[in-house]
Order: sequence, then C-alpha cells, then structure tokens
Amino acid sequence: MSLVNFTNIDFDQLFAMSDDTNPIMMLIWILPIFFFVFYGQRIQLYVTSGEIKKGIAKLDGFRNESRDELINYVKKNLKLNNDPVQKIDRFIDYFTIMPVDMDPNGIVDKVRHIVRSREDYTREHVRSLSPQMSDVELSKIQTLLEIASSLQMIYKIINHMFLTAKKQNNYPLILPLQMILPFIMEQSEAMKEAIPVFKKGQPVGDGIGPMIIGKMMLKHKKETVAFQTVLAKSEFEGRELFLLKAEGPGSTVGRPADGLEKIVSENKIDAIIMIDAALKMEGEDSATVTRGFGAAIGGIGTEKFEIEAIATSKNIPIFSIVVKQSVKEAITLMTKEIADKADDVRTQVYEMIQENTTQGQSIVIIGVGNSAGVPQ
Amino acid sequence: MIFSKKKITLDYTVEKCSKCGMQRKRKFSEGDVLFSECSKCDSCDGVYFIEKIFGETLE
Repeated sequence: MSLVNFTNIDFDQLFAMSDDTNPIMMLIWILPIFFFVFYGQRIQLYVTSGEIKKGIAKLDGFRNESRDELINYVKKNLKLNNDPVQKIDRFIDYFTIMPVDMDPNGIVDKVRHIVRSREDYTREHVRSLSPQMSDVELSKIQTLLEIASSLQMIYKIINHMFLTAKKQNNYPLILPLQMILPFIMEQSEAMKEAIPVFKKGQPVGDGIGPMIIGKMMLKHKKETVAFQTVLAKSEFEGRELFLLKAEGPGSTVGRPADGLEKIVSENKIDAIIMIDAALKMEGEDSATVTRGFGAAIGGIGTEKFEIEAIATSKNIPIFSIVVKQSVKEAITLMTKEIADKADDVRTQVYEMIQENTTQGQSIVIIGVGNSAGVPQ
Repeated sequence: MIFSKKKITLDYTVEKCSKCGMQRKRKFSEGDVLFSECSKCDSCDGVYFIEKIFGETLE
C-alpha cells in the first residue's frame, strides 16, 4: 500500500506562483476568486430565485384554484339573484388589522372584538348572496372563503418579499424567504387539499374532539349554550357530565369559552377536560394519543385566554387529551388512523374522570375543533 | 418534482350495527354524515349507523 506524503507540498507549484509558471494558468486560479467575491451573491440570488419562482407559481395556482372552486360551488349550490363573482372577489381581498399591542392591557378583548366582527361581517355578507341558504351551507361557504382569502394573502406576501429582494438585488433579503417557503408551501398545499373535503361536508382531522363528544351526546337532550355551540348533560358513575362542542355538521369551531362561562355561572364545576387535535412533532407518529394539563385549544388565543381565566377564577383544574397529527392531516379528510383512535380516546376520557374526580362531582368535557361533518 | 409520487386519497364510510356491532366499509357517498342512520342490519334486527368517515391514501 502506498501512502501519499502530505508534508511535502510545494506551495509555489500548487498556486502556480513560481517564475516559470504559465500566466494563463495563474489567471485560471485567480480570476474565479475575484469573480466570486464580486458576483457570488448575485449568482446565489439567481439560483435561489429560480426555486422561489416555482413556489410562487404554485401559490398563484392554488389561489386561483381556490377562488374558482368557491365561485363554482356558490353558483352550483345557491339560488342567486345576481352574479356573485364581483362580491366574492371583494370578500377574498378583505384584510384584518390587528389592534396596537404597545400597551398590552386589554389586548385580548380588542383582538376578540376584531376577529368576531370580521366573522359576523363575512357571515352576513355571504348570507346576502342567497338569503334562503341553510346555516350548514353558510358555514361551508364561509370556510371556503377563508381558505381562498388566506391563499390570496400568502401569495401576495411571498410575491412581495420576492420582488423586493429582486428589485434591490439583495441576496440576504431572499434568505428568510428561502427558509420559510417549504413551510408555507406545506400549509398552502394542505389548504388547497382541504377545499373538496369542506365542500363535501366530510370530517377533518381537527374534528376528532367534536367527533368523540358528538358520539357521547347522542341520545341526550341538546341545547344551544353559546353561538354555534351545543351542550348536552349526561351521567357517568355518579358524576354529572357537561358535554360541549361546536354545533355540527356545519364547519365551525363554535365559542367554547362562552359556553363554559355559562355552564360555570350556573353550576359548580370540579374539573374541565378538553379533547383536541395537536400538531405532532417531526418523528412522532400520527394519531398518537397523549394526556396533559392545561387548555388544549388552538386558534388566535382569545378562547384559550378566556377558558384559562374562568378556570383560574373558580380554581378548576384543566386536563387535556390530544390526538397528534400534522398540519395537513388537521385540515384535510380525517385519516383512518385518527378515526380509529376515537374509541380509545373516549375510554381515556372515562379513565381520566375516574382518576381525577369523585362521585357527586361535575365535569365539563369540551370537544375542541372544527365540527364539519360531525353532528351530535 | 421528478421523483415525487402522486398520492390519491379515497374516502370511505364505515357503518356499524347498533345492536350486534357488525361493521361494513363502503365508498363515501354524498350526503353521508357521521352518526346518521343508514339501513337495517342483515344479521339482526338492529340498524346501521355511520360510525366513521375517513380517507385512505394510495401511493
């Protein structure tokens, strides 16, 4: 075996610096160095731009597709008085300005007010397309509109960031875009794939909480306890159960915090159990069921804040059970793995009640999530 | 991308007899809603309810 001797390097020869070196060979070494020093970033900008352009073209396709799907759905399923295209285009472009948070005091109330005003506005204007449409149909169209609006906003922001970087020939400006684009694409693709699911009124992965509570509510009297939120009372081994979920089969998450507030104001509650879908970490198996403490609820944070405030003021412990899933699984058709866990989670809820409460106590069980395709 | 495989998701409905617990799986059809009554059970006098609606992905 022959070994290379690395101690005997002639640097003059290596860098072609000796007197007898061909000057052309020297240029071949030195010119690229200068070239890459001055134009390296620009070359990287061009290479990266190509990738980002493909992503933006896809995003453009998604937003157009979602808009067309929405318009076709409205035209096909509603009795319309006028052409809805102009109105829908106006809704899609609607934006929300979040309140100033320099002084965070009272910010949750302000955010809740703005978000609810937007929801109410959208609902009423969607209804104006065809005043005789059912609430389920209305919730479907509202969800489709939210998807189209979100995809439009994502496209506009990403395109703006890209064009600004290109205009300024600024490579560092394009780096954050390159880093976030895969995540944005994943979420956008999930939203695009969610469209047919909401159109057909099928349950999504996020609906696992309402699905479990919905089944527990069957054969019990239901009442509307808050806007798009239903309550049913049942019993389990001498304990009173207050079952709460968004009103299905419409596509809504309801207002569980308002429902809880009403229940707590009229009854002495000893525990709250929340069932929700949670984002799985990379490497974690989908449809894994885990238990924990604290309010399991996503969204903008106002519902969570309100639930925590109620629980704290009344000293009620909050337990939670979550079913892990990816972003895509959460908003697209429920997978078999997630659906198969419903019975297991229900068993775990009863175990949790037995372990943490005693006979004669009252428990609120909230099925958190979108109730599309999940009645009660 | 060249190497990415297109995935197809097929949607299914699982019906379960409320009395004998017999289950049957079929393709989802428009109008299927969870917990709704479907048909009478073939093996007992119970009724089939929609137990699950889910998607299975083929690669």
